[in-house]
Amino acid sequence: MALCTEEEQSEDYLFKVVLIGDSAVGKSNLLARFARDEFYPNSKSTIGVEFQTQKMDINGKEVKAQIWDTAGQERFRAVTSAYYRGAVGALLVYDISRRQTFDDIGRWLNELHTHSDMNVVTILVGNKSDLKDLREVSTAEGKALAEAQGLFFIETSALDSSNVAAAFQTVVIEIYNILSRKVIQTQELKKEDPAWMGSGKTIVLHDGNQEVDGQAKKGGCC
Amino acid sequence: MRTLRRSHTSSPSSSNSSSSSSPWIHLRSVFLVVAASSPAYCSSSSSSSDRGRLKSPWSRRKRKHTLSPQQWRSLFTPDGKLRHGGVKFLKKVRSGGVDPSIRLEVWPFLLGVYNLNSSKEEREVLRTQKRKEYEILRRQCRRLLKCSDDSINLRETGGTNSSGDSGSFNQGIDSPDYEDVVSARDSLSSEERNPYVEHSNHPCSALMEGDLGSRQVTDPNSPAFDTESSDSDSSDDPEVSNTFPTTESENDPSKEDSSPSRTEVQSKLHTSEDFSTWQRIIRLDAVRANEEWIAYSPTQAAVSVERACRSAEAVGLRDYEHLEPCRIFHAARLVAILEAYALYDPEIGYCQGMSDLLSPIITVITDDHEAFWCFVGFMKKARHNFRLDEVGIRRQLNTVSKIIKHKDSHLYRHLEKLEAEDCFFVYRMVIVLFRRELTFEQTIGLWEVMWANQAAIRAGIGKSAWSRIRQRAPPTEDLLLYAIAASVLQRRKQIIEKYSSMDEILRECNSMAGHLDVWKLLDDAHNLVVNLHDKI
Repeated sequence: MALCTEEEQSEDYLFKVVLIGDSAVGKSNLLARFARDEFYPNSKSTIGVEFQTQKMDINGKEVKAQIWDTAGQERFRAVTSAYYRGAVGALLVYDISRRQTFDDIGRWLNELHTHSDMNVVTILVGNKSDLKDLREVSTAEGKALAEAQGLFFIETSALDSSNVAAAFQTVVIEIYNILSRKVIQTQELKKEDPAWMGSGKTIVLHDGNQEVDGQAKKGGCC
Repeated sequence: MRTLRRSHTSSPSSSNSSSSSSPWIHLRSVFLVVAASSPAYCSSSSSSSDRGRLKSPWSRRKRKHTLSPQQWRSLFTPDGKLRHGGVKFLKKVRSGGVDPSIRLEVWPFLLGVYNLNSSKEEREVLRTQKRKEYEILRRQCRRLLKCSDDSINLRETGGTNSSGDSGSFNQGIDSPDYEDVVSARDSLSSEERNPYVEHSNHPCSALMEGDLGSRQVTDPNSPAFDTESSDSDSSDDPEVSNTFPTTESENDPSKEDSSPSRTEVQSKLHTSEDFSTWQRIIRLDAVRANEEWIAYSPTQAAVSVERACRSAEAVGLRDYEHLEPCRIFHAARLVAILEAYALYDPEIGYCQGMSDLLSPIITVITDDHEAFWCFVGFMKKARHNFRLDEVGIRRQLNTVSKIIKHKDSHLYRHLEKLEAEDCFFVYRMVIVLFRRELTFEQTIGLWEVMWANQAAIRAGIGKSAWSRIRQRAPPTEDLLLYAIAASVLQRRKQIIEKYSSMDEILRECNSMAGHLDVWKLLDDAHNLVVNLHDKI
């Protein structure tokens, strides 16, 4: 990004990041902890989609992460395509105290790959690390799966806040870095411009005037 | 989103198919035909501007009071029938809702559990019958839960780590018919229940032999079913084991298509996995149900720790230790009824959001079996929101979109520009019927009006008795959708001037909670109905 002009440095970046994983693994609470430093021990299941925008400082640059949250039940198909559209990052969450949620990670990966680009920056998140006595999935298992699938990995606790910010930051920083060095990708995008909008590739968005400017920026930056 | 958009183009065919399969929609169209051909309607429709000025039953000036206990009692004849086929009753509820103290009695009528023309005696017979049917469903649930617990135990002992406390928990469930014994003593109206005879059959034995898939059916004639039902006094009455007594089918023409049939149960519930998935999600949602209801049911709020824990154990609830007794009790009731519903309607099973719809019902209705049948009545229409093929939700989003298009072409063009004309942003309002946007009391007020509307359509009221009301606003199955459109239209200026993406509209809609006035919403919805119902 050192190559960017002064004008561009004043611009905002907006990255869409999605939270996915089984019901009640703590997706909404990870978001609540990250965006508002809140935690609801008995938060209701999410219906439809919700999102929060969170400002982050990366290398002295303001980046906005628009984090989307949805229901964990597979059935809500109508939500799916809108949900994944334009996502550049994903937190793939399971509950370390319920093995089933870890076993379902493969299904969520498929889902993610079906509906978005393979380049979506993904982190595997083992949430509820505070439930030490109830642990059913070891850290090593989580790590191994992440390595096998080429994902980042972290264990978090939305309850005691540990690693929550780090989980989101890992994803957002990586997106930022990819963007910073993606001269090649930019050219590729220019070539297949019409398909780009819906394909879920890296999108950089201006604050306010979103997709159009994002696209313009793609072409103009670097 | 692309999928949704595609559905717009295919919607004519999909809505056709749904209307042919759903008598609800069919009824509505019949009603509209009748309405359109009636002279009163024609004269009023001659000038749409006149229609626009007609006061709705919910306009501030005309806003009537709730149906009071005195009025409610005065609506009945000496043999316990509602006067005039319930016309006055429904009118009253439709314009002002129901007094909280009589909701318990009124809702079964609104939700079609009782026919509007039924006598007290008929209702008592039906009630007993329905209670038995519910209890049969519950026993099946327990057998299935037992099976899935057994398979988990097998898997756990076979290798992977088992958490320490699950063993003791399973013992509780292992004792045969634990819940029956508990619930008979435990119910808030225990005197109305027959305690079951305990029996020592392994609850799962019949199911465990041979092919699980083919045996796990709820066919009343299956051997497993017979063994169970022989414990109750209903065994030699073939009517009782039939979940859909013919009397009700006659009363309710929508019954046949809109509700699941036994054949469906057999064909759809082939694997126990589906049901066990539902069981799992139901429990997860039950323990995190919100506590808004507590103020509305002091009796349930004051439930004892012992009773709460007994009911939780009886339905195999876990991870509830951190909850207060009243929440444990509420969660246990949610589990019992949702699970029974999943079995009763396996095409829908359980979908997140359904617990939102049930929670107010169990708050008002203290008996599980009664609450169950009220929920069934509610779900006759609402179940379409949770269909796997999403036909129901798409049709409704499409309707909201059409309402906005016809009412406000400027706003609609703006939505088109943002690729938001599919109205995906009202998804949550549609799916849980405003439950997330309104307070408990507001939700109930809106639902009662909506239920009264549906009951009126169901009963075929509208030809003559409601001609005056019809002129103002014909009862419509889609009242809720008009209200949803109204909530969006109330924010038109903001949406057009300030919002430049679907995300922003979505955020606006998600943050409507606490900022809505139900009666204003209904009033606006009324105006939309009056002006647009023949166009939509």
